Amino acid sequence: MIRTALAMSGLGGLVVAFFAVLGGMALITGSGVIVESGLRSSLEGSRLAAADVLVSAPQSVRGGEGGLPVGLPERAVVPASLIAELSQVAGVASAAGDVTFPAALVGAEAAATGDGHGWASAVLAGGAVLDGRAPRAAEEIVVSKTHAVRPGADVEVIAAGKRGTYRVTGVVDAPGLYFADRVALDLADRTAGQRAGTVDIVALRAAPGTDAGALAQAVRKRIGDGYEISTGSAKGDAESPGTAAARTLLIALPSSVGGLSLLIVGFVVGGGISLSITRQRRDLALLRAAGATPRQVRKLVAAQGMAAALAALIPGAAAGYLMAAHFGDLLVHVGMLPANMPLTYSPIPAVAAAPLLLGVVRVSAFATSISASRMPAVAAVRDSAGEPRTPSAVRYKSGLLIILASLLISSLPLFIRGEIAAVGPGVAALLSVIGLALAGPRLVQSATGLLARHLPARVPASVWLAVANTRGYALRTAGAVAALGMVVTLATSVALTHFTILQATADETAETLKADAAVTAPAYGGIPHGLLDDVRRTPGVTAAVATSTTVVASRSLAVGDDGDNLVSRTAMVLGPDAGELVDLGVGAGSLADLKGATIALDERAGEVGERYDLVLGDGAAVKARVVATYSRALGLGPVVLSRDLVAGHTTTGLDSTILVRTDGDRSGLERLTARWPGVDVAAGSPSPQAGETSAQLWINIAVLAVLLGYVLVSVANRLVATIASRGAELTAVKRLGSTPRQLTAMIRWEALIIALTASLAGLAMSVVPLLLLSVGFLGRPWPAGPLWVAPAAMATVCAVVWLAYELTARRLIRHA
Amino acid sequence: MNHVVTLTGVTKKYGELTALDDVSLGFPRGRFTAVMGPSGSGKSTLIQCAAALDTPTSGSVAIGGVDVGTLNETKRTELRRAHIGFVFQSYNLLPAITVEENLTLTLRLAGRKPDLAWIRMLVERVGLHDRLRHRPGELSGGQQQRAAIVRALAGRPDVLFADEPTGALDLRSASQVLDLLRSMVDDLGQTVVMVTHDPAAAARAHDALIMADGRLVDVLPAPSAEDLAARLTRLAGRPVAAAGGAL
Repeated sequence: MIRTALAMSGLGGLVVAFFAVLGGMALITGSGVIVESGLRSSLEGSRLAAADVLVSAPQSVRGGEGGLPVGLPERAVVPASLIAELSQVAGVASAAGDVTFPAALVGAEAAATGDGHGWASAVLAGGAVLDGRAPRAAEEIVVSKTHAVRPGADVEVIAAGKRGTYRVTGVVDAPGLYFADRVALDLADRTAGQRAGTVDIVALRAAPGTDAGALAQAVRKRIGDGYEISTGSAKGDAESPGTAAARTLLIALPSSVGGLSLLIVGFVVGGGISLSITRQRRDLALLRAAGATPRQVRKLVAAQGMAAALAALIPGAAAGYLMAAHFGDLLVHVGMLPANMPLTYSPIPAVAAAPLLLGVVRVSAFATSISASRMPAVAAVRDSAGEPRTPSAVRYKSGLLIILASLLISSLPLFIRGEIAAVGPGVAALLSVIGLALAGPRLVQSATGLLARHLPARVPASVWLAVANTRGYALRTAGAVAALGMVVTLATSVALTHFTILQATADETAETLKADAAVTAPAYGGIPHGLLDDVRRTPGVTAAVATSTTVVASRSLAVGDDGDNLVSRTAMVLGPDAGELVDLGVGAGSLADLKGATIALDERAGEVGERYDLVLGDGAAVKARVVATYSRALGLGPVVLSRDLVAGHTTTGLDSTILVRTDGDRSGLERLTARWPGVDVAAGSPSPQAGETSAQLWINIAVLAVLLGYVLVSVANRLVATIASRGAELTAVKRLGSTPRQLTAMIRWEALIIALTASLAGLAMSVVPLLLLSVGFLGRPWPAGPLWVAPAAMATVCAVVWLAYELTARRLIRHA
Repeated sequence: MNHVVTLTGVTKKYGELTALDDVSLGFPRGRFTAVMGPSGSGKSTLIQCAAALDTPTSGSVAIGGVDVGTLNETKRTELRRAHIGFVFQSYNLLPAITVEENLTLTLRLAGRKPDLAWIRMLVERVGLHDRLRHRPGELSGGQQQRAAIVRALAGRPDVLFADEPTGALDLRSASQVLDLLRSMVDDLGQTVVMVTHDPAAAARAHDALIMADGRLVDVLPAPSAEDLAARLTRLAGRPVAAAGGAL
């Protein structure tokens, strides 16, 4: 059976199916690796290497019924009372609290900046005192050997924003700055206020003879499931609170691009299988005539597809792992993945992807073969010429309906001005391509029919024949046009949509933030105390406002949010003084009331006076009162938090940026660095969303490029297979009196017609969504960003068509 | 005698296989010649070489006094378009274009203006005037073959070659096609050379050439179907022996 199947299929069709499955396997395996890494990868290296078990608070909250967990990047703390409680657990040799806060020597090289901890942590970090002794008094400090400072020296340190002079009492063989334990708790703000009586982590050392795993179980038994209890390589997660957020990103990322990829894989694999079946319609018909049952024919077709698919699985999986590695590098590069969090490679993604691909192959083989297999045997032979067949009216009409639907979706940005509108053009583009694939044959017939009627009588025979062929073989032509058009549409729509929204966000941010300079202090983990006052006193500065960003999770705040599930987003933190520099287009209430547990909201999300349930970045559930509503939600997002609300719920407790307006003279600001070395002064005002948006942009573009490459290769494959099967047709034309030159000319004209039609159709499909998006977001009819992607995509399509035709047809014509 | 196409010492080899073995003959103008022989006797190769669709391994073919061997592929195609009409067993109508467009296709390729009155006359004669707007796939086999004959004749060729033109047709359609070919010769003075393995078909010709093992073995003027059948039966049963023969 299989042998017959393979003998019949001819290599061409199988090669197309093979490459389609190979690419699909690579894409899905690659996505799988990313998801699995989100679930299982562990951070490289652990700071608290000498600790056996770490107890910390969970860094994520459940997203709601069936939703993904929402990662929380701000440190969630555990009560310090746990230290005493856990030291009583059998098998615990010692228990210590660990706190982390930004701490750096003033004026030190950037490489020397880092974190501060209590002295107890130095021991847990495996640090041995190389020289000197432990810090005991309030103004004593132990430095890492990388600081190149000797004991007895006085150093100026900014720790948790507080500037002070400390005497170095020792040098230790562990990274960071170490303070007396009580001092560290004080600096980390654990002696008063929101976080009084807490630590970040409780680190346990096991008594000799006690296994870390057993100890972890004993601890879990004692304190229950409310805490994260980590051992071994999982300790890294407890030490870096941002990891959980990175993990949720890894898990969520493929699911956001996954829909598009899966659709494309289905499109390409289905197309490949259907092409290989169409090529052998006549053979299948003869088989039916020779007595094969419809079921046998379907099985034969399925066997062919399966053979090609099975052969492609292993190389496809290999390519997928390779691709995931590159994608991981990109994620690290754009800052969405910690560099010390490697991807996990296990066979699971490939094993999961294989049945998925085989399923797609099976279904498309079945769908394509059903008409050929069901026909009465005699009719099958008569109908088996394949083409010209009349494209069905149902197919045509459903295609037109889908194109119409895509137009409706693409009008979304006119009504909704928010992140969700970005989905419109992408989905619209894809839908319209599917519509084009369905309605294509009829459209091609009418278009080329029109062309044929208006061709001047004196055109060369080769041109006339080329037009006649594209028209006569409308199904064949439309298949190529739709697939190639998809390349143009996706490249243009998706890329320009992202750039347009980025531009609109930047524009609105510029309108919102009336600052012309921004002061940051990344070396100190945030804005040190006193810097804001210094900035305000600086000559030339007319206004200065400190801000930060954090993450807040809430139920539906913007159109498109999943109603019942928590959605987390970056939000700006402002104080009551924000009105000086931040113009959100407040419609009701006032930013001056951003005191206490209050927020300002997008005016479409709520009203002044309402109370909102929010989950802050450390997982704390709070109720906040809306004191202002505003219209400019694109720049800063749909919610702004008051500083008082967020206080005690962030890792550093520091502002991240001072927005500054000057009278045009920034020289005073530039001189600030003399008193505050390591402080950055930049012109303009950064958008709190910008980093995230551009990272998202690059990820999307990378994914898009891979998908387009996949589509292009498979389209080229299909073209080659289609042309290669035209040997008999070319021989016939030649025998009827065509010179080789005329044959070549005919083929070239066909290639030109297909390339141009595909380019124009693809462009047309993306023009309307982009036009509507631009009007909605930018108030002008053309999108922002590199407009050259449209001609570039068209040129690529033309080049692929030209190559496929030229290389394949030349051989055919020589042998015709 | 006035020959439209002359073959001199033509040999055609496909690798080890010798399809034509030193054949010399001429096709006389205005006559209906049938070429017969068992399968593999070289009859199809003979007219493909004679029609310049294929090139001989050695020997020469002259069409209208021009030696085909001296021409390249393009020149040969042009010569063929000017002098030769060819009808294939499988019709060779292009499925993507209408019957009417098929009829003028060769002329279009040659860049010649079709003689519409002539073509209309041919179409009337073969009874296809109401099928011109159809696609070839919508016609019966007999109709397709008649359309192919009109196309071959549309450029008023010196000679019409037909390779098993009735091979795929039922008796009635085959008989119509043969009537048509004969009437072209009788009424219009058209030269026709037809390859067939059917004695009844060959009996409609003026002369029958008998081929065996790549050689011309016999020439029967005004043959009857019975004579031909008997001759072929003898050939099929004979031991390997080559009969010399020239026309």
